[in-house]
Amino acid sequence: MIGRLGFLTGIALRHLSKRRRQTLVAVSGVAVGVGFFLAVSAMMIGSQTDFVRQLIDVAPHIIVSDEVRSPTPQPGTRVYANGAVQLHGYKVRTEARGIKDWQAVLAAANAVPGAVASPSLTGGVTLRLGGHDEALAIVGVDPEIESRVSDIEDKLRAGNLRDLETVQGGIIIGEEMAQRLGIGMGDIVAATSASRSRSMRVVGLFKRGNSQLGSSSGYVLLREAQSMLGRPFVINRIGLRIPDPYQAEDVAARLEQRFGYKAESWQERSADFLSLLVTRNVIMYSVVSAILLVASFGIYTVVSNSVADKRRDIAILRSIGFSEGDLQFIFVTEGLMLAVIGVFCGWALGYGLMEILGSLNFPIAGENQHVPLDRSPRQYAVAAAASLFAGAIAAWLPARKASRVDPVDILRGAV
Amino acid sequence: MSALLEARGLGRVLPGDPPVTLVREANLVIEPGSFTTIVGPSGCGKSSLLYLLSLIDRPTSGELLLEGREVSRLSGDERAQIRLMKFGFVFQFHFLLPEFTALENVLIPIRRLGSLGEVEARERAMHLLDRVGLAEKHGKTPDRLSGGERQRVAIARALANDPVLILGDEPTGNLDSQNSARVVEDLRHLAHEEGRAVVCVTHDPGIAELADVRVDMLDGRIENILDRRGGAAAAP
Ligand SMILES: Nc1ncnc2c1ncn2[C@@H]1O[C@H](COP(=O)(O)OP(=O)(O)OP(=O)(O)O)[C@@H](O)[C@H]1O
Ligand SMILES: [Mg+2]
Repeated sequence: MIGRLGFLTGIALRHLSKRRRQTLVAVSGVAVGVGFFLAVSAMMIGSQTDFVRQLIDVAPHIIVSDEVRSPTPQPGTRVYANGAVQLHGYKVRTEARGIKDWQAVLAAANAVPGAVASPSLTGGVTLRLGGHDEALAIVGVDPEIESRVSDIEDKLRAGNLRDLETVQGGIIIGEEMAQRLGIGMGDIVAATSASRSRSMRVVGLFKRGNSQLGSSSGYVLLREAQSMLGRPFVINRIGLRIPDPYQAEDVAARLEQRFGYKAESWQERSADFLSLLVTRNVIMYSVVSAILLVASFGIYTVVSNSVADKRRDIAILRSIGFSEGDLQFIFVTEGLMLAVIGVFCGWALGYGLMEILGSLNFPIAGENQHVPLDRSPRQYAVAAAASLFAGAIAAWLPARKASRVDPVDILRGAV
Repeated sequence: MSALLEARGLGRVLPGDPPVTLVREANLVIEPGSFTTIVGPSGCGKSSLLYLLSLIDRPTSGELLLEGREVSRLSGDERAQIRLMKFGFVFQFHFLLPEFTALENVLIPIRRLGSLGEVEARERAMHLLDRVGLAEKHGKTPDRLSGGERQRVAIARALANDPVLILGDEPTGNLDSQNSARVVEDLRHLAHEEGRAVVCVTHDPGIAELADVRVDMLDGRIENILDRRGGAAAAP
């Protein structure tokens, strides 16, 4: 069986070796298609991965806050859960904000394998220096835990998150905010909340790249925030970092279901961006399919020319005793060989293009940056599979015709 | 002697408007070791009958028995397998594959059947070329061979799988008298010395004289069968 297929492949190879130029054109078509697919997809996927990593890292993977997605049911409805209860004009009881029983939520979050959860309290204060006011959202954190949950430490341009613990009334603010207030490291600034006011010392400055999140917030010790905002022992936010960011949606859903508090995953937070990426991918794969389609036209041309030229040989082989399947195999193999050679050349071309792209520097925001490239073998496999599939279809159409040649028609015509 | 191939009321009509009858009511017995020729005026249906006998074409009526078994209604693949194992063909135009050398052309049916290993297959192919006197030209492609040489390569290829039946459609039609005599001698040898059945369509009266059986055709019909071995002609 193997011997026979090898023999038929040999016939196909011999056919191709006699039509070098067409073979070359068809192979280059596939090679260019595969090569550019690899280069383009490496850039698309590379930049996407880079971008998504930024989305993931800019804040904790999951943020549990003291908000709820739908109002808590009124006591009457809660008691008669299955009853036909209708309430009108009731007075809603004002509930104090903050995550109730947050220790339980924190424990549950920490129970997720490999997860780190950081409790914090946010609230608004006003920073005042001279006659200048700036609204600031202070975030009270435990520096040791927070540094393991968010990337704030990496963004510090000056100071250290741990300094919050050692300096009385220490605060870390954004560089822009400091500039607007005209203060720097070690300077004192007055902070006023609804309940009280105190002076704080700048112990760190951070810079956030593309994010607005951080520009008007400042970090203080959790205890400090609680006393400043007049809410001792209260927290209203739990940030969660998990080992596999792509599990965030599931974990968030579980926490939210269990405690009722809104647990927002990074995916939900960045839904807009992610849907943009989907569109990008659709565009990329459409372009690539078009390239492969064009490449398969080349294969179709070679095989169908070969079939047309070889009608006499087909009749000879059929009369000798080759089956329809044999003939089909020979011509499909011709197409597949073109595709296989094309894929190998395309891999080399794609690799070369990636090397060139990888060596280029682009100045972005004053820094020289490399193009982010994804060089995973998966893309090579995808390109090969798609080309072989397209090649097989393109060859199969004329091959089917070859197998249906009636030797009698040819013999009559020739004799 | 029992029949190798037997046609019973074999007919072939091309569908169309009007339908064309190529062969009608052909009755014929081919025996092992016999050299049969089919003769008749151009267009009388000799080639058409040969395609039916060689299982390349399907009859529209009648039956065809190979070693006692009805074969005309077998599937395409089954008939292909029979052609591969039991039949050999020689046509007027050489019909060699142009990309392959003489040796490779002879090897094609052997390799397709796949019952011999590569070394034995090559030995057999060389031996067959040697028989037709072309051993030293085994590496040449058909375009480097003369007409007579090509036809001898085709005979070697027809013998590749040791067939019981050799079929030829004007195998000498394109050859000069010297080459023609050589090919006819080869065919006679295959029948008389090796016990194969040989069936040839021919225009050449000289060849028809040398045959054991002469089948006369006219207008798609077998008019007369002259059997020189036993004397008596079997009337259709
Ligand atoms: N496709 C076809 N359509 C119509 N008529 C056909 C077709 N093929 C063959 N014929 C006719 O069938 C008849 C028999 O043809 P065939 O080739 O068997 O003759 P032949 O005896 O081999 O002739 P020759 O000696 O010239 O080779 C001829 O009259 C031919 O014109
Ligand atoms: Mg004829």
